[in-house]
Amino acid sequence: MDEMDLPQMKKEVESLKYQLAFKREKSSPRHMVKWIEDGVPEDPFLNPELMKNNPWVEKGKCVLL
Amino acid sequence: MGEMEELRKEADNLKDQITEARKVVQDTTLQEAVAGTTLVGRVQLKTRKTLRGHLAKIYAMHWGTDTNCSKLCVSASQDGKLIVWDTLTTNKVNAIPLKSSWVMTCAYAPSGNMVACGGLDNMCSIYNLKGKDGNVKVMRELAAHTGYLSCCRFLNDSEIITSSGDCTCILWDIETGTEKTIFAGHLGDCMSLAVSPDFKMFISGACDFTAKLWDIREATCRQTFSGHESDINAIGFFPNGNAVITGSDDATCKLYDLRADQELITYQDSGIMCGVTSLAASLSGRLLLAGYDDFNVNIWDMLKAERVGVLAGHDNRVSCIGVSSDGMACCTGSWDSFLKIWN
Repeated sequence: MDEMDLPQMKKEVESLKYQLAFKREKSSPRHMVKWIEDGVPEDPFLNPELMKNNPWVEKGKCVLL
Repeated sequence: MGEMEELRKEADNLKDQITEARKVVQDTTLQEAVAGTTLVGRVQLKTRKTLRGHLAKIYAMHWGTDTNCSKLCVSASQDGKLIVWDTLTTNKVNAIPLKSSWVMTCAYAPSGNMVACGGLDNMCSIYNLKGKDGNVKVMRELAAHTGYLSCCRFLNDSEIITSSGDCTCILWDIETGTEKTIFAGHLGDCMSLAVSPDFKMFISGACDFTAKLWDIREATCRQTFSGHESDINAIGFFPNGNAVITGSDDATCKLYDLRADQELITYQDSGIMCGVTSLAASLSGRLLLAGYDDFNVNIWDMLKAERVGVLAGHDNRVSCIGVSSDGMACCTGSWDSFLKIWN
């Protein structure tokens, strides 16, 4: 990682200044937890009701082609 | 002091300031926030379909997203073919022979009109699926990268983003076949990229062990996420676009919060010692499905950071994984030449 040449190093410093300026927010993980928990009932992998009509599972008897 | 030395000091100083700025916004940890949450019950997904047809290792797959192709997916194999599959019937909608068999990535355009692929030829080839005579032909060959094409993702029918072993990502104008923006900054091969749900940003994971968030129109790197101890092979956005998920050769996956600009949690287990090759989140973001070098896919409860299931069925490395846009199925692709649909 120390193989940058001078122009790359200058760009890296500019980029770091820009990244430092980012407005970080005190974003509580609780928001993420709530977002996930609100979505769980609609998640087909977690709500078996939603997979009652599973398009990938053959229904009924075999079909004669 | 030489100029290089001064710049190095300045860079280190700025990195320290970023670390401090992150500490200031640190809130409760995810572990604390989910102390009262119950672990998701054992998740058992079954193989519903096996897609047979490739004759060599599968390196990539991507689901269609448009309502007309939400059950279709495209896969790329080093047998030199791109196959568009109807996953419900297992029929091959298109079998596209490639000029170069050393393919490493493929992508389905959101419109369903095109697919793209690339690899050791250093190019991204765009194929039109809806040509007038029904034949699928190369529409454009995007050449400018000086290293292998590791990943590509369409923004729309006229723009695509690529990541490369030359350490850069490029935003292309498909119509003219030229580079619109070059995103440089990674110090190692870029291995993977993902576009945000609102199409304004993308993230890249690289062999410099970092993930970078890029503003597509501003052409800048907004944030850099460190913490991994080896190459990042897989990357994805959390479904609401506010977090990033990474998978690495260090055998862990990590979740990074974009607004707080820091790591939320690491998904690791002392029993897992092999690299992560691929990852996908379930619709709600509660589950993380991650493919590993040991031929398995582990299913993680993203909140409690514990394994709650395994997809075992492939006879070789799982190289790619994707969850359909309606969250109803997961597709895995493997070096064993098969794709499997699970739910």
